[in-house]
Amino acid sequence: MKKKKELKISRRTVMKGALAAGAMMSAGSIPSKLFAGEFNIPDPLKPLPTTGGNMRWIDSGDMKGVFWKKLFPEYAASRGITIEYDGLPWKEINKIVPIAIRNGTVHDVFQLPLGMDPGVAVSEGWVQPWDDYIENLDEWLANFPAGVYLPGVNQFNGKTYGLCLTANKRTGTCLLYSEKYMSEAGYDPQAGRMTYSEIRDAAKKITKRGNGQYYGWIIGGNQVNRWEDVVHTFGQVAGAHGGRGGFTNRHINFQNGKFQIASDQYMEAVELLLQLKSDGSAFPGVMSMNAPQARALMPQGAAGMIFQGPWCIGVWGRDAPEWKYGIASEPVPDGKKAQPLYIAEGGSNTLWLSANSTMGPFAGDLIRFMGTEQGQIYWAQTVGAADPAVNPEAVAKAGLTGPSAQALAMFAENLLVGPNPIVRNKDVGVVAAKSRVPDPSLALVIQGLYTGQLKGVEAQLKDCNQRYEDALDQAVEAARADGANVTRDDWVFPNWDINSNYGASKYSEL
Amino acid sequence: MNKKSLSKQIYDARWCYVFVLPCLILTGMFVIYPIGMSWYFSLLDWSGFTKEAKFIGLQNYYEAVNDEFFWDAFIRSFIFMFGTVPVKIVLGFIIAVFLNNQVLKLAPFFRTVIFMPVVTAIAIIGIVMTFVFSPFNGPANKFLMSTNLTSAPIDFLGNPDTVLPTVMGVYVWKWLGITMMYWLAALQTVPQDVYDAAKIDGAEGYRLWIHIILPIVLPFAIVIILVEAVGALNVFPLIETMTAGGPFFSSEVMEIYIFRTAFVTDSGTMPRLGYACAAGVFWGVAVLFITVLQGLWMRRTRRI
Repeated sequence: MKKKKELKISRRTVMKGALAAGAMMSAGSIPSKLFAGEFNIPDPLKPLPTTGGNMRWIDSGDMKGVFWKKLFPEYAASRGITIEYDGLPWKEINKIVPIAIRNGTVHDVFQLPLGMDPGVAVSEGWVQPWDDYIENLDEWLANFPAGVYLPGVNQFNGKTYGLCLTANKRTGTCLLYSEKYMSEAGYDPQAGRMTYSEIRDAAKKITKRGNGQYYGWIIGGNQVNRWEDVVHTFGQVAGAHGGRGGFTNRHINFQNGKFQIASDQYMEAVELLLQLKSDGSAFPGVMSMNAPQARALMPQGAAGMIFQGPWCIGVWGRDAPEWKYGIASEPVPDGKKAQPLYIAEGGSNTLWLSANSTMGPFAGDLIRFMGTEQGQIYWAQTVGAADPAVNPEAVAKAGLTGPSAQALAMFAENLLVGPNPIVRNKDVGVVAAKSRVPDPSLALVIQGLYTGQLKGVEAQLKDCNQRYEDALDQAVEAARADGANVTRDDWVFPNWDINSNYGASKYSEL
Repeated sequence: MNKKSLSKQIYDARWCYVFVLPCLILTGMFVIYPIGMSWYFSLLDWSGFTKEAKFIGLQNYYEAVNDEFFWDAFIRSFIFMFGTVPVKIVLGFIIAVFLNNQVLKLAPFFRTVIFMPVVTAIAIIGIVMTFVFSPFNGPANKFLMSTNLTSAPIDFLGNPDTVLPTVMGVYVWKWLGITMMYWLAALQTVPQDVYDAAKIDGAEGYRLWIHIILPIVLPFAIVIILVEAVGALNVFPLIETMTAGGPFFSSEVMEIYIFRTAFVTDSGTMPRLGYACAAGVFWGVAVLFITVLQGLWMRRTRRI
């Protein structure tokens, strides 16, 4: 009997890969070769305090951390201060920042926890405006694309509280694949967007060729948000037009203001995941690994495909520079044309200044520099597509090549700005603050369906959809009871043309 | 008899009170105050970090007892306890009996080996165990497959049917050393002349253990069971690092449930510290109830 070959990947290698991925996530090390050159930090526009001090900065790390850890020492030396940087996964930020705010020990510059309404941060007095710390603020803001700075999003009471250096024009569920395995299976995702059937077929063929050494597809299944991200984005590509972002945007069809979790498009996406499992194409043990662990296994040849974001590019570039992989758009159901994906207006990775901070002049000076074209070019050259610089001209001048350039081009082609209820009515922020994602969330429902603990895709998604509807109704009701002027109609955008950006002129028509 | 007034008694024992004071202050700060505040918070509709906190009476409790996930986690915690404590007690006793034998030259070595996991950081153990039980090249699966016990790798931590028993097994392994130490301490209270007298009377082997030694160490057993039972209900770090309660709540015990509701969730909504406190208070009362029952049982056993 022919003995099954064993894949020569040691536990140590897997651990090393996962740890490396984790280290990258938290910006533990900096590959200096990523940098095009030294930073040319200009003098401050106005004299800074000469008292020095220590500036503490926290964000969600990843490639941002790689950049900051290179820039901060140089900037700190030029201004006679020290900078303490913490790049942590979102799960940690979600815990640390609220506690630090309560204790009065929050970092000078920080990101708000996911789902936290910025309006709450302002009204609670946790943050202070940047206006006093950025010279010629209005002029500086004018350098940013329209829609990045908006009342109710990062501007409140006529002042700017949140600053964005990065765009939110990206998706986290691209098709990333091994060129070798995919080509052996007879597919070239660069030739055009793959269909669900093709994905299944390719995964089957890769698994068959792998003969126990490698598999068709992998996902970090114990990180529940990965399930929701895949279904949400695939559903949108298939035509479930809706919003992105937090609970009060995500999964909502802005044509009728209703959740579309039980739509055919979502069901098809869930079915695809279940079929990959039933075909035997899924990597064994996906339920006991998180996204960085799954990502770390790809360059080791453990699987042919993963649905992940452009942040993989930097990690793989560092850990496995020789490995050949490709990046392509999300697949589409058979016989369907891919539909646009929608992002909300505004930037991403918004930076807030602690109300208690005395380092505002330095933080403002640094961020002002990073908002200039030169600063944005520096950013784009390092961070690439992982967190794209917000200034498209700077991105164009950064001279990106390879997968980063390809990913950015792909996002530019696939993504449009969709409606955002909070831009229409700032009281939607009060609803966001009152919202509670019902248990079990969509992410958990999909995970439960995948493990077989829940049965019946249609019934489960319908139940889930109803729970989300009820939860939003309750949040709106609670907000209204607190005096907010908001109704479910604020989620209906009858003038939304799904094939064009939804901008200021559209809001004024409502 | 010359009876002293209370104030006089306190004055006479003033140095005792002075020495006790630091402990009382620390207990007040880190035990009494948090418990009191969690009771108060449990009556609020409060995220935990906004100024706005609305008094809602017992509504959080009402919601908790009507939440199926709360009860699932509640029951799962007890399944964990009943699945681990007897195994640890019996296994710990058997090992202690062997290692208590003075003739066994390697007893100190085995004691050290068995005790070693106890002093290893639990979070490290949790993370390492995810690799040990990985279906992809994990040593557990490699062993099972190389010995033909299974034909395909088992996803121990990703399968809802195997996840809890696996975590329970790791828990037993991690803490078995301390149970063994408890038993060794208990066995060493049995005087040597009891063994000698029993042997003269012809009691040997299991008869010696069942009829002579066990009745002597029984009161210790009650204490050990009590400590072990409460310990098995506090398994947050191990489960958080190994499974975080998944997949799909399969290993979500009460502490994970409380943690999940107390902080911002992965889904990105506001946390519910008030609700989490209600669940925590309910859980604390349940554990206290069990402790009291066991205490009563211990008292009764001592009387016997």
